[in-house]
Amino acid sequence: MKFKDTGFWAIFRQCFTGYATMPVYWVGVFILPLFLFLFLGSLMREGLPEKAPAAILDLDHTSLSRNITQNLASMQMVDMVAAAESYTQARHLMQEGKIYGYFLIPEGFTADLLAGRSPQITFYTNQTYYVPATMLYKTFKTTAVYTKMGILMEVARDAGLDTSGLAGTANPVSPVMRPIGNPWLNYAYYLCNGFIPGALQLMILLITTFTLGEVVKYGRSGRLMRMADGNIVKALAAQLLPQTIAWVCIVLLMESWMFRYNGYPMNGSWGWLTLSEIMFVLASQALGVFIFCLLPNLRLSVSISALLGIVTFSIAAYSFPVPSMYPGIAIFSYIVPARYNFLIYVDQALNGIDIYYSRLWFVAYLIFMALPLPLLWRIRKAYLKPVYLP
Amino acid sequence: MNRIKESVKTFLDAFAAQMSVVFRDQGILLILGFLTFGYPILYSLIYNPELVRDVETVVIDHDRTALSREAVRRMDATQYLKVLGYAADLPEARRAVNEHKAYCIIEIPENFERNATGGEGTQMVLYCEMSLLLRYRSMLTAAIDVSQAMGADLSARTLDGEVPGAASLLVEDPLGIHSVFLGDTTGGFASFVMPGILILILQQLICLMCGLSGGARHEYPLELGFTPLARRPHTLAKMLGEMLCFYIISLPVAIWLIHYVPMIFSFPQAGDVWQEMLFITPLILSSICLGFVLQGIVWQREGIFVIWVVTSLVFLFLSGLTWPYYAAPRMWQYVADALPATWGVQGFILMNSNGSSLTQVAHFYHNLWWLTLGYSLVAYCVQRWIVRPDVRRRYIMDAGTAQDADTTAASES
Repeated sequence: MKFKDTGFWAIFRQCFTGYATMPVYWVGVFILPLFLFLFLGSLMREGLPEKAPAAILDLDHTSLSRNITQNLASMQMVDMVAAAESYTQARHLMQEGKIYGYFLIPEGFTADLLAGRSPQITFYTNQTYYVPATMLYKTFKTTAVYTKMGILMEVARDAGLDTSGLAGTANPVSPVMRPIGNPWLNYAYYLCNGFIPGALQLMILLITTFTLGEVVKYGRSGRLMRMADGNIVKALAAQLLPQTIAWVCIVLLMESWMFRYNGYPMNGSWGWLTLSEIMFVLASQALGVFIFCLLPNLRLSVSISALLGIVTFSIAAYSFPVPSMYPGIAIFSYIVPARYNFLIYVDQALNGIDIYYSRLWFVAYLIFMALPLPLLWRIRKAYLKPVYLP
Repeated sequence: MNRIKESVKTFLDAFAAQMSVVFRDQGILLILGFLTFGYPILYSLIYNPELVRDVETVVIDHDRTALSREAVRRMDATQYLKVLGYAADLPEARRAVNEHKAYCIIEIPENFERNATGGEGTQMVLYCEMSLLLRYRSMLTAAIDVSQAMGADLSARTLDGEVPGAASLLVEDPLGIHSVFLGDTTGGFASFVMPGILILILQQLICLMCGLSGGARHEYPLELGFTPLARRPHTLAKMLGEMLCFYIISLPVAIWLIHYVPMIFSFPQAGDVWQEMLFITPLILSSICLGFVLQGIVWQREGIFVIWVVTSLVFLFLSGLTWPYYAAPRMWQYVADALPATWGVQGFILMNSNGSSLTQVAHFYHNLWWLTLGYSLVAYCVQRWIVRPDVRRRYIMDAGTAQDADTTAASES
């Protein structure tokens, strides 16, 4: 069977073979993304990091203070690794990074309590480490509040009061938190659903600009344009289609890996989410082409892709919300496709709301796809008259 | 003696050649400029508001009493929440959340006032949109603060109702509970994340510079003045010369990153800057050596981007900044142990935010020196047995091509 040596499929075939023989494509398209899936999945398997190392600083040494210590040690979120003898020692342990917080029961605690001299429980958390500090704060606070309640109840009972109604008096308004969609407060859901598509967008941008630039760098662009009969759309489409197919496979794998295999919350329609993932690939590729239109040079376009791709992790607001950013910075969160991927995930998978509310995010994908069209002539020019600047 | 002289000459030549590569290569200068100034400033600006304030909130008040209105007013008065308005029922409030106008719904049950003041106790339900953890943190803090403050006031009022003046007599709390934040004392996000990110930026900058210059040498050995044909290779002297070049470039960058950036954006700065510089030294050296190892697999200048940039994300997670080191599976702890940034980030944030001295972070400091030793050995092997033969081969090939071109030109003329 003889193949034609010009036209769309000829370029497609040639590029496909070219990619398959270059290790950088295997690494960029398959090995790194798959590694990331496995890495993040296994790193955060627990969902919530338990057992934050902490210390107790019991200067009272009475049965009551030992009781509190035991209560603390039995809590799920902490690991009481040390019993410090002095305040300085506890601080040193923290400064050495061995513990993330400590709980201080002062000297004469029980005696002061019984005499009504109002002693104070103090707990210290090292906020330099956000996650362990939050776990410790919660545990310490709960223990302290329960200790106080217990003491109040005891005093009241000793005074001969009816304690059944006391709980309501001591704590008249209690807040009840109802976290919609993630009642387990699973940390992996936040991180993976943002950072993995963000990483894929980075790889798509890099590989797209790398492919387009490499053709110029190694002087293959003239021949490519001849094969495409001088039609730049045909040339680009045939060059990028093999990658589109590979990326779509990767995002679908990602979708099933996250929402099926790892059981991340999926409260909406699989169809819309899948459509979003596929459009995300096309939008990211189009953004890559757009960057190359602006800077038709391998090194510059790859550098800009890398820089934009890394900034995406912050600017797409996976951790710090857009309304809290400075307005001048916040507008930039909308210039990357990964932001829309995240918004659609929130609407469709996490909250499971009607597609009507996500309509604008899909339109944004379409705008990304249209972005390079008015500037394709720049690539055509660069392909026909290649100038490679080292 | 001659050999020592030759080594010194190789060392100086390598230093000068590397300097000229770095300052003539647009790609390296772009990365150097952007990672030194662009990223730290951009990231700091993104996170600089520090706290998530005024999360948009909708209220459903089934009670409609003075006390329920007071509860809403108190919630609105915290810096964490902003009440947009009232909704009649849950579906209406939910619609506001769906339209991305609000992120929190407060539902106050019927008989709120009666139960709160009557001794039964009551609840205040907060429905939280969970796309971001920081937003949840703000809602939770507001709820806890307001309920505790209201609780204290109500208890006092109840007491006063039974025995007039009792609350004012009961000046002291029977047991005080006091929480102290250490390190990042305001609990701000930028102050938490940025010191670690700065160290990661430093490591990645150094690795990228080394990788890019390795790729450049591979591609244009002739133009960059390398002489890989010398009989004695003096690989060690050459490597040390190049290391010195990168060290001299990294030093001002490091001072800027660990001292001036935190100063400009008011991040915690509890440490002694001289001790921090001492701590950072093995981090810079081990990163340079890691970059030299990378030169063994980078054959193309742009290739380093494709394989190295995304690792920043992996290193961020391994460093223990977002996901604590102790909670990582053993296998990933081993991988993290092999990275300069892991020890660098942990040690630096302890020094910078918690005011630890160099002796207190000796464990991290020693590990950084061990890494420097390990990577310099591997880097030597890579430079000697992979990079040098390759550059030599390319050099001969290029020189051959250049000679061919010369002969052709001569014969044509």
